[in-house]
Amino acid sequence: MYTQQENDRFLKLINENTGIIIKICNSYCYNESDRKDLAQEIIFQLWKSNNNFNSDFKFSTWMYRIALNVAISFYRKGKKKLDSITALTEAHINIEDNTADAADTEERGILLQRQIADLEELDRAVILLYFEEKSYKEIAEIIGITETNVGTKVSRIKEKLKQKLNNQKLTGWKI
Amino acid sequence: MEDIELKNIWHEYDKKIEEAKILNLQSWVVNLQTFEHLQSQKAKSKLNALSTWKKWMIFMGIIWIAFLIFLIFNSLEFSKIFFVTSAGAIAIFNIIAVAMYIKHTILINEIDNSESLIETQKKLAALQTSTLKVVRILFLQSPFYTTFWWSPQMIAADPVAFWLISVPVTVFFIFLSGWLYKNISYKNAHKKWFKILFSSKEWTSVTKAMKYLNEIDEFKKEMQ
Repeated sequence: MYTQQENDRFLKLINENTGIIIKICNSYCYNESDRKDLAQEIIFQLWKSNNNFNSDFKFSTWMYRIALNVAISFYRKGKKKLDSITALTEAHINIEDNTADAADTEERGILLQRQIADLEELDRAVILLYFEEKSYKEIAEIIGITETNVGTKVSRIKEKLKQKLNNQKLTGWKI
Repeated sequence: MEDIELKNIWHEYDKKIEEAKILNLQSWVVNLQTFEHLQSQKAKSKLNALSTWKKWMIFMGIIWIAFLIFLIFNSLEFSKIFFVTSAGAIAIFNIIAVAMYIKHTILINEIDNSESLIETQKKLAALQTSTLKVVRILFLQSPFYTTFWWSPQMIAADPVAFWLISVPVTVFFIFLSGWLYKNISYKNAHKKWFKILFSSKEWTSVTKAMKYLNEIDEFKKEMQ
């Protein structure tokens, strides 16, 4: 059992990093109940590993490793990708903001998220970290590949995404 | 489309999702602070299910080995030399299999999610495919199932049938089991014979994990 002080420290840690957890959950499952389950599992694993933080790494590296490992394992348990994508569209199309620009941004966002969901689990982790402005060095540490390999992968994944989004642009961002 | 535009789409969309407050993480943290909840989550873990299954296999394996040893000790006479030798060999292969299952259950407890994604995912997938390593070992015992009923009296009574039927069947099983031992590996998971051999439903998670191991190997390769 943890002491009250440890509990408080953990709560603070989660509060400070809620964004990271939400983004990872959104990238690996878009169905609301799956997302809740995944967030819970990530928090549980962070809780379990709380005392084993290795100070050789940056805190965010440690947290991303745990959260992404849990997310990938959760995703691989057999959650249906297509169902999730459909749910994503339905769940987020109703966000309250009805201006034309906002709708356009949202549609593009959904399309980008959909293209990301089509990527393999590890490619998805790479591009997620890239979008989170992580350095190639940190991405390499989190994923476990070389910085050169990260650079090549990021370029290839970006090109793939751009190509798909450009095709969508030509058809007027239709979801 | 420029890189900056791609990042902007992501950030705009991400902002909207966060604003929608879909997740309330705080409440789960509070939930996690009760020991009971930790225990129920632990029980739900897939790895724990794998561990339970392996522990069950260890239990069954030990009973089977004990039974074989009992038979061996009750058959120690020259007329049953082939039976004793075959049962002994089968017991040895099963002891190895049980030892492997024990090792796997220890490895399950050593999985560390704070290692790099490649390391952890590879270990997890390897654990899921580990059953296959045990199956490879167990295939090696198959020739001994063709010899346990041999006896010196049987050979003396009908040597032609022994040399023309029994021995070729055993030799065939020796080559087959050796070949399977050498070739059952995730590197061959894409081959037709492999898919036929492991096509039943209970192998689905194993074959998926094998495919994933191949994907991880591909992912690790330096691209030009």
